[in-house]
Amino acid sequence: MSALAEILFGGLFQGSLYAMMAVGLALVWTTIGVFNFSHGVFMMLGAYIAWQLVELGLPAAVAFPIAVVVMAGVGWILQASVVRPLIGRPNIVLVVVITTLAAGSLIENGALTVWGPRSKQIPALIAGNTTIGGVGVSLHQIAIIVITPLILAALWMFLNRTRLGLALRAVAQNEDAGHLVGLNVTALYGLAFAIAASLAGLAGIFMGGYRFMSPVMGSDPLLKALIVVVFGGISSISGPIFAAYLIGFFEAACSYYFGLYWTPALLFGVLILTLMVRPEGIFASRSRGLA
Amino acid sequence: MTDTTSPITRGHAEAATPIAPGRTPWKQEAIGFVLGFALLALLPLIFGDTYARHILIMAFIYAIVASNWDLSLGYGGVFNFGHLALFGIGVYAYSLLTKLAEFDPWIALFASGVIATLAAILVTIPILRLKGIYIILVTFGFAQLVMQVIISQSAITGGTQGLVRIPGLYVFDHNMVRDGKSAYFYIALALLVASTLFLRVFVRSRAGASIVALRDNEEYAVSRGVSIVRQRMLTLAASAFFTGIAGAFYAAYQRNASIDVFGMSLATIILSMVLLGGTSTIYGAIIASFVLTIFAEWMADFGAWRPMITAVLIIGVMLAYPSGLVGMIKASWGAIAGRLKRPG
Repeated sequence: MSALAEILFGGLFQGSLYAMMAVGLALVWTTIGVFNFSHGVFMMLGAYIAWQLVELGLPAAVAFPIAVVVMAGVGWILQASVVRPLIGRPNIVLVVVITTLAAGSLIENGALTVWGPRSKQIPALIAGNTTIGGVGVSLHQIAIIVITPLILAALWMFLNRTRLGLALRAVAQNEDAGHLVGLNVTALYGLAFAIAASLAGLAGIFMGGYRFMSPVMGSDPLLKALIVVVFGGISSISGPIFAAYLIGFFEAACSYYFGLYWTPALLFGVLILTLMVRPEGIFASRSRGLA
Repeated sequence: MTDTTSPITRGHAEAATPIAPGRTPWKQEAIGFVLGFALLALLPLIFGDTYARHILIMAFIYAIVASNWDLSLGYGGVFNFGHLALFGIGVYAYSLLTKLAEFDPWIALFASGVIATLAAILVTIPILRLKGIYIILVTFGFAQLVMQVIISQSAITGGTQGLVRIPGLYVFDHNMVRDGKSAYFYIALALLVASTLFLRVFVRSRAGASIVALRDNEEYAVSRGVSIVRQRMLTLAASAFFTGIAGAFYAAYQRNASIDVFGMSLATIILSMVLLGGTSTIYGAIIASFVLTIFAEWMADFGAWRPMITAVLIIGVMLAYPSGLVGMIKASWGAIAGRLKRPG
């Protein structure tokens, strides 16, 4: 019983974090058609900004939303400086990989210079621990498990029920037609990046609440988010979300039965097999579009 | 002179035009090739101290890795993000063959290239049906898989600790340690010459033309009888051999192996060499390897600011000259040639 509870809990928790990261990656890919390799750095920066604000004396309930909003601005600026000027160039996918990698390295080293290499921790969303089904868990982790689906649902509502969200999806499906009906495509590109960056920042705040932060904390979650989007299919928002939880459970089960060392190797093995059978990802349709 | 520069400048003006193989007459290229590498061979006469030679040896290794990556990434248009894994496979293949199986270092060096080639063929299988971004993700996953396997098999590979005291190369009874690194310098240079010669001959051949055709218009190339499966395997296998050998040489030269070779930072540096130099040129990647390696040394005093300055410069060059340093050189050369031509 406790084995099942442990796998279930671990899967839900990891899956929530992966989903927050992967959705941002997928959002940027579907709208702009580029891969943002500074996504992991967004996560780190969000956590450090939150830490800085808490350190300045703000209560967590104020500091965290401010950090998320600041991250939206960072995402917009990054898009305007290293992605937008390249739109329309023939080898944009490749060039954006290197410009976002370079921008990520710039921010990462900047954070290292400003905040130093010493590990930091930000306050948990809810302090304290409890026991469910014989497994000891922290309330912070339970809060993440509860909040993440709410945020993802809100994102889904935004993309499907609001004019702005529909405009974003319209650009994702057909950029030229978006131009023709008078949508501000450049602003929508910025919006996609802003949403992705704030989601990553929030994931960073979640992570900083239970694990020590360092300037390189984003690289492993970025890798996991990459696996998630490959696995779930990058052309939708719902695919990566399902895949995130699936991979969360897979990892939890693997590390329970085979040990922590073999989990990444098994995960990548499954990933490569999946792609050989279904290159577009297991939850995806072949078209490129949102939701 | 005007005969050769005009098609190049025209090619640059139409940014979308791919650089077709065989534009420069091969005789001119051969002269440039021999002169360029002869110049490099004379460098130890100027740089006597071992540290400067060490920097040059590292630049040669990076140049081999970057220019081979240009074959799959630039010419082939296959976004192979597992290229550094092939380098890492070379490092570990050499280390394990010499240390555990006690192979002769030179045989191990060659075998490492073969093993990297086999690994490249293996990784081609899952990406045969894939395009663009999915290739990035799978090859990236492949690199991580290789790294995870090496870490988890720590009994043989040393895991995260790496391997030390790997046998070095030898040249008869020559003392490799007390010659001011000149033996390693010339071995590295010879490998770079062999690799560059191989790459240039390959991209100028019919096979090279066919992989460019597949990159630029896949449907048309396939309809004209180019096999995407065979050519993609050929591209990746061809780009792997000297990459694996470079990895083996790196291990022999450093005398140790660590999983850092699979890390993102090295991949980022080599990728910026490929893109900064300008894709689909081979020479661009080599030039950029020298520029970036020497630049990084020159900025050693800046400490923590160094990676930040490098990042800003990479972004700047990519925004201003998407075709990289070679595009920049061609553009300025075109401007000079144009100015020279006008009065005449």
